[in-house]
Amino acid sequence: MEEIVFDVFARKNRGEPLTHIGYLSAPDREMARVYAWTTYDEENWFEMCIVPRSEIHLVNRTDGPFAGRGAG
Amino acid sequence: MAGDVVVPGLEGAPAELRSALRRLLLGLADTKRLLGIRYSDWLLGAPSIEAGIAASSMAQDEWGHARLLYAALRDFGDDPVELEHAREPEGYLSWGPLDEDADDWAGVVASMLVLDGVLTEALSGIAEGRYEPLEGRITKMLAEEEFHASLATAWFRRLAGSEEGRARLRAATEVILEGALLGAAPGDDSHERLAAEGLTLGAGELRGRMADRLDPLLSLIGLSVPTGAGLPADWDEARGRGPGAPPFDSIERARGDRNRALFVE
Repeated sequence: MEEIVFDVFARKNRGEPLTHIGYLSAPDREMARVYAWTTYDEENWFEMCIVPRSEIHLVNRTDGPFAGRGAG
Repeated sequence: MAGDVVVPGLEGAPAELRSALRRLLLGLADTKRLLGIRYSDWLLGAPSIEAGIAASSMAQDEWGHARLLYAALRDFGDDPVELEHAREPEGYLSWGPLDEDADDWAGVVASMLVLDGVLTEALSGIAEGRYEPLEGRITKMLAEEEFHASLATAWFRRLAGSEEGRARLRAATEVILEGALLGAAPGDDSHERLAAEGLTLGAGELRGRMADRLDPLLSLIGLSVPTGAGLPADWDEARGRGPGAPPFDSIERARGDRNRALFVE
C-alpha cells in the first residue's frame, strides 16, 4: 500500500499559532492521526492537526521544505 | 453492601468481595504489564518507523496503567513494590494469551484489537460501577486507549485487505480470542459477586459489549465473538485465568531483575 506524507502541526495553548512540528508517513488518514499523536506526544498539546503534504500549495517559492508534494 | 458508600479497598466489606475486587484489579494490572512487554518487543521490527514508535508509545501507556492499578491495590493491603518486583511467574494473574509472544505483526495487531480492546471494556465496566476510588485513573486510561483502538482498527482493516493478511490475522486471533474474552468476562463466582454488587458488569453484558466492539472487524476474517461457552474445566478461579504462567524471562523483565542493583524506589 502506498504511503502518504502528512505534515503535523500543533499548538500548546489556545490562541497560540499552529506550529509545524514534523512529518510522518502513513497509508491513510486514520493511521496518520494515531502516528502523529504517538510520535509527537512529548508535549501536552492543546491541539494537533495533520495535513497531507500534497494538499499544501506553495505560494512564493518552489524549493521550500514543503516542495516534496508528498514525496517526503 | 449494594447501595453502601464505597470506600477505598472496600474496607469493612465481606472478605470474599474484597478478594474478588483485588483479583480483578491485579489481573488487569498484570495483563497490562505483560501486554506492554509484548508491544515493546516490536519497537524494532514493526512494518514502519511510525508503527514502531506507536508500539513504543502503547507499551509506555500499558506500563503506566499497570503502575496506577498496582498502586490502587495498596488500599487492599498490598505493597505495590512487592507486586511489581517480587512475585514469581505463578503468582501473576495476566491472561493466558499473553504467555506467548506474537509470531508476526499480524499477531501484534490481533493483540491490539482483541486483548487491548477487551481490557478496555473491562476497565469501562469498572468505571461504570460503584468503585469510585478508581474513577479518575480509569478515565485517563480510557482516553489513552482511544488511540490504541484507532491504531488497531486501522491496521486490522489494512491487513484484512489481502488474502495473506486475512489468513495471518485469523490464525493469530483464533489463538487469543477465547482466552481474552474469558480474562475480561470470566463469569465465575468471583466475577459475578462483583457484578451483583454493582462493582463491574456481569459476564453476559460484557460479552455483548465485546461483540459490539470486535465483530465488525472480526467479520472481515470470518470470525465473531462466540457466545459464552462456560468456564474450562481447568479454570483457576484464584487467579482468574487458565493453567500455566508467563515465561520466566518475561517476568524477569517485568520485575526489572537485572537492574535490581540500581533500584531506587
